[in-house]
Amino acid sequence: MEYLSTGKILVIDLATSKIEETALDESLVSEKIGGAGITKHLCEKYLNDDPIVIGTGLLTGTTCPASAGGLITAKSPVTGKLCHCPIIYKVGIEIKFSGYDYIVVKGVSDNPVYLWIHDGVADISDASGIWGKDVWESTDSLRKLMGDDLIQTMVIGKAGENRSDYAQICYNYWSSPDRFGLGKLFGSKKLKGLAFRGMGLIEVADHENFVRRSLEILKEIKTNDFMTKKGIAEIASAIGEAGIKEWLEPIVHRHSADYFTPYATNTAVFFDEDPKRVEESKVAEPGVLISDVPALLAFKKLGLSAEDTGRALKACAKYGIDPAAVAGLSGKSSLKEIVDSFDGLSGTVALKGKGIFSPWCPLKPIFNDFGLSGDAAEAEAWWERRQAVAMIFGIQPIFSVMCPELSEENMLELAGIGTELDLTQEILDKVVADLLK
Amino acid sequence: MGIKIDALKCINCMACEMACSYHRDDGFAFLSACIVVYRAREKQDYFGVLLKEEEFLKVARPEGLEVNRIGEAADPNKKADASVKPMLLREGCDLCEDMDDYGPMCKAICPADAITLE
Repeated sequence: MEYLSTGKILVIDLATSKIEETALDESLVSEKIGGAGITKHLCEKYLNDDPIVIGTGLLTGTTCPASAGGLITAKSPVTGKLCHCPIIYKVGIEIKFSGYDYIVVKGVSDNPVYLWIHDGVADISDASGIWGKDVWESTDSLRKLMGDDLIQTMVIGKAGENRSDYAQICYNYWSSPDRFGLGKLFGSKKLKGLAFRGMGLIEVADHENFVRRSLEILKEIKTNDFMTKKGIAEIASAIGEAGIKEWLEPIVHRHSADYFTPYATNTAVFFDEDPKRVEESKVAEPGVLISDVPALLAFKKLGLSAEDTGRALKACAKYGIDPAAVAGLSGKSSLKEIVDSFDGLSGTVALKGKGIFSPWCPLKPIFNDFGLSGDAAEAEAWWERRQAVAMIFGIQPIFSVMCPELSEENMLELAGIGTELDLTQEILDKVVADLLK
Repeated sequence: MGIKIDALKCINCMACEMACSYHRDDGFAFLSACIVVYRAREKQDYFGVLLKEEEFLKVARPEGLEVNRIGEAADPNKKADASVKPMLLREGCDLCEDMDDYGPMCKAICPADAITLE
């Protein structure tokens, strides 16, 4: 595969320490397009080795707006279903630019290891020095070891090492959309995490036309009213949570976006530093970055203050545990009790629809109605299709439920211009149907 | 005429980096960009934009613009950023003089309108 791609699939066997590279065939892209279409295919191919497949979308890391996404596809150790967990922030693009479109991790290691993927090279490294460390310490250690603060990581904390059903794979320092217990899967494979860094070049078949259409789509997106808004509280407010903006505002520091995502879906809150400080904080860890609307709302509903909610989210991110599960299952209403409950959680976290996409992404349209009638079944089917399409092309999932201009037609057009492949609506429908069956 | 950056409008999305490097490479990469988002202080949520011009390195920090003449000693009171060293090896901003349809690509692509011409 020559365009919009590194053309390479990495297959790592933790049991034998064998690392293989295989080519990403153009015929596979013609049939499955990319992202979840191909990660599911690879999961089925390596089914007997309990694989974790990490991948990027066909448009990830391009000038297509919101092309930030990647995904982790694996059988959830909690639900037993094949699930697709979004990769957010800047981690998805770093995977692609590190030299691989897809990474299959199979088998179980005898000893704790981490994977270091950089500029087309992959290493299995001893993780005994970071096993036992929390998520923040682990990312700090990996960045320090490699001497590069821009390395992007996906790591587990103690929840994953202890094989909790609620363990998350975290990205850099922050909680993730993992509602599937994939952190437990990492822990059971003795895989502490992965670190990515790369300076690759992605070729485009017709780069001038691709960029021209990208900028036209961006121009359409910028006519949306949501472009005057930023941050997580606006999203919560738009889905009907009254009073959230006023509640959170006193601790809001800044809002930030995933790669080229026109809406800033992440909000940093400070509680150990003046949140209004614009200079660099003198405090090493002044707060936490929040991307999880349901978790934020769940802690608020327990009666926590905004500050204590921030502290609870930070504690969850360090421990590597799903904050929505903690808020929903702990049955506690004070910060100390909540943090003390991490190891004793029990119960089931409800997943929506077929349970293969993460309800970390709000389950209804944000800021725009997408022409939906208000019927619940129609909304659920729309949401699942929207998630599937986002994870085929590599679009930031939350942005995909707020932006009608990022239509299937536009994504297919860009994919066709970028690859010179005849990627039709019929093919997309077939890939989506396969994901949802 | 030059690039003006409002660091407080910046949402740390890196689109400017991609667009700038595209202008140099005709493909998607970050390697050649003369404008980068500095984002190494992630836990402190401190980010802004670095721009290399022919003679100057402009640092658009949230608290204000800092302009350094390339070759002069850096301020010892400022913590160095991992983004700075590679920047000094790259070509300076040419305002995308060959991109007739768009003007500077970083300005054209910035979703937050944090980049303007002055």
